[in-house]
Amino acid sequence: MWNQRSRWNIILFAVIVLLLISSIVFLWMKTNVEIRAVVEEQYQNQQLLLTRQISDSIERSLTEKVLLLEVIAKKDSGVPPDNFSSDLKSVYDVAGMFYVVEYVTADGTIVSGYPEEHVPYGLNLYENNEYRAFERVKETGVVYITDPLRLMEGNYGSFIWVPVYDGDEFKGTFIAIISESDLRSRYVVESNSSSYAYLLDKRGRLLYDESGTYERGVNYAELMNSSSSGLLDIIAAQVNGMEGNGKYLLLDEGSVVEEMLVSYSPISWYNQQWSLAITSPSSDVDRLIVSVYLKLFIVAVVSVLFIVFVSSFIVLILFNWSKSLEKEVDWKTQELKESNASLLQANKKLKELDRLKTEFLSIVSHELKTPLTAMKTSSEFLRENDECDTALRQQMLDIVIRNIDRQSRMVDDLLDISRIESNRMKFHRDLVDIEDTILFSIGLLELPLKEADMSVQVDIPENIGHIYTDKDKLVQVFVNLLNNAIKFSKKGGKVTIFVEEETDFIKVSVSDNGIGISQEEMGRIFDKFYQIDSTSTRKVGGSGLGLSIVKGIIEGQGGTITVSSEYGRGSTFVFTLKKEQ
Amino acid sequence: MHEENIRGKILSLLESDPGITIKEISNNLSVSVDEVEKVLKAMSDVRQKVLVVDDEMDALLALKVALQTEGYNVVEAKDGHEAIVKVHSELPDVILLDLMIPQIDGFEVCRQLKSDPVYSHIPVIMLTARGEIDDKVEGIELGADDYVTKPFNLKELKARIKMVLRRNQDI
Repeated sequence: MWNQRSRWNIILFAVIVLLLISSIVFLWMKTNVEIRAVVEEQYQNQQLLLTRQISDSIERSLTEKVLLLEVIAKKDSGVPPDNFSSDLKSVYDVAGMFYVVEYVTADGTIVSGYPEEHVPYGLNLYENNEYRAFERVKETGVVYITDPLRLMEGNYGSFIWVPVYDGDEFKGTFIAIISESDLRSRYVVESNSSSYAYLLDKRGRLLYDESGTYERGVNYAELMNSSSSGLLDIIAAQVNGMEGNGKYLLLDEGSVVEEMLVSYSPISWYNQQWSLAITSPSSDVDRLIVSVYLKLFIVAVVSVLFIVFVSSFIVLILFNWSKSLEKEVDWKTQELKESNASLLQANKKLKELDRLKTEFLSIVSHELKTPLTAMKTSSEFLRENDECDTALRQQMLDIVIRNIDRQSRMVDDLLDISRIESNRMKFHRDLVDIEDTILFSIGLLELPLKEADMSVQVDIPENIGHIYTDKDKLVQVFVNLLNNAIKFSKKGGKVTIFVEEETDFIKVSVSDNGIGISQEEMGRIFDKFYQIDSTSTRKVGGSGLGLSIVKGIIEGQGGTITVSSEYGRGSTFVFTLKKEQ
Repeated sequence: MHEENIRGKILSLLESDPGITIKEISNNLSVSVDEVEKVLKAMSDVRQKVLVVDDEMDALLALKVALQTEGYNVVEAKDGHEAIVKVHSELPDVILLDLMIPQIDGFEVCRQLKSDPVYSHIPVIMLTARGEIDDKVEGIELGADDYVTKPFNLKELKARIKMVLRRNQDI
């Protein structure tokens, strides 16, 4: 069905469709990536804002608490008699996040504090070998905050050392402890499950981890055991007190578990430089844009389906089109073949007609020239031989007359044939008595019948109706048929004319017991100039047109004529003619 | 052939006994006296013999009478087959051959005669109602010595017969 060219067309078409589909898929994926990048950036910025906000609030809050202590420490009135007990209580209450606040005198002895149950009264720092921070504050005269240390109670806390002066005189220090748990409960927001916060100090050690599963003070990079350059970059930035976003791949035994998005912001609290970071897995971003993914996917799928549908529709149309074209071509070819065949047939027929016409002309000229030859020879002879005897003269004149008759009969027959063939034969129809006609015809042939010693038997039922026909033509039919019977019978033969009456036509049969007609000649005897046995025909003379004329006359009036014969036994011609008008 | 045999026998009888009577010949060969007379008459006929082949009775009859009057011995044949038989038995001096004759047509008769060395010397004049040039060419190619178109002029035909006969005699 598919020829070479349409197969190529289909392949080309399929390639175009595949290109369209792949470009859609490509665009879809590219869009996904771009959207993801944009959303991720937004997400990280958001996370960074959150981180900054938290770190700022922590920094501000811590600084405020220390400021409270510094305000008391800078009092001009000197050390009050209660050793700052009431002031410390007020600070504790206002700050609300200190574990304990204490006053250490210039000689390093804790003399007051609040709440009293947490205060080790009378403890001397020098005696307990815990004077390093005290000494440092005493020397520098500025606030010093320690890294978070393990407290006696077991939890961790930062010690804030604030120097106390009376004028320029060093009067000791305040020690305030902020426990980590307080800090956490107060400032670390309850984040969703997938993100968590951690706090590093300026040496990159872990101060706080939201999950609480890691040991504090460990190096964060070592803890994560990650060789990811992203993580090292992030930690380096955090240690340097910078603010920003980063991401790294979380590995588990060398294989990537997931990508982590980190936002970090510094917390600067007197001498302490910390960095707060919030970490989220990048799958959070995916979760955010999953619905966008889904919609884009649906759009892509719909587009692909649309293309497939349209292209298969086009293929179907093209296929049907080419099929119908093929069908039409086949049909036209068939038509052309048929018309060609019929033209050939017609051409053959025309050639045959042409051949028949030539043959007819040649026969006619022969038939016309033959009597002329006899006449010319005879008459020229007579002219040349004036003195010949009477008998010879008579003989020659007979030849001339006979041939003149023959010639005129021939011309009549030819005219009849011409009229029959061009449908111009005129029938002067009237009601004709069949019996009269038959007897009249026999009368015309009295002489030839006598010469052949033949008898004619006529068998007609009584009271037979008339025939509506041309009487002269009917006579011609009988004469021709009887002539044929005489020609093709031996001497003493017998002819039978039998008439039957049917419902609306009359059937006439003319039978002889002559030489008959062979099977192969039967089909041609009605042809023009066809003569069964030329030798015998020429003996009696004849144009070969008689039966053609008979057939023409009968069929021209709507009758039929048939012949049956037994070779050597005789022939029977049967014709029918309509009875009434 | 029958007649040929009789001729030969009569000739041998005449040779052996020049004084033999017709009656004796008749008895000797056990054929009728009439027949012997007829054969003797034919044998003594010194006229030139013309074989006319035509299936048209009247044309044949008229031509026969005209040629007989002219002094020819005319033999007739009505079809091709009879024509060949007559040539064999009569050995005519000239043949007037109609083209359209039954059984074997004129062309074929001419071809057969001209291909047989025994009869090829006999001149053939073709007679036909057809006037086409093709027939003329074919007739001459087949060895016909002359060609006359029907209806012919009697004088012309006679002149042509004389001419072919003279030509043949010269050879």
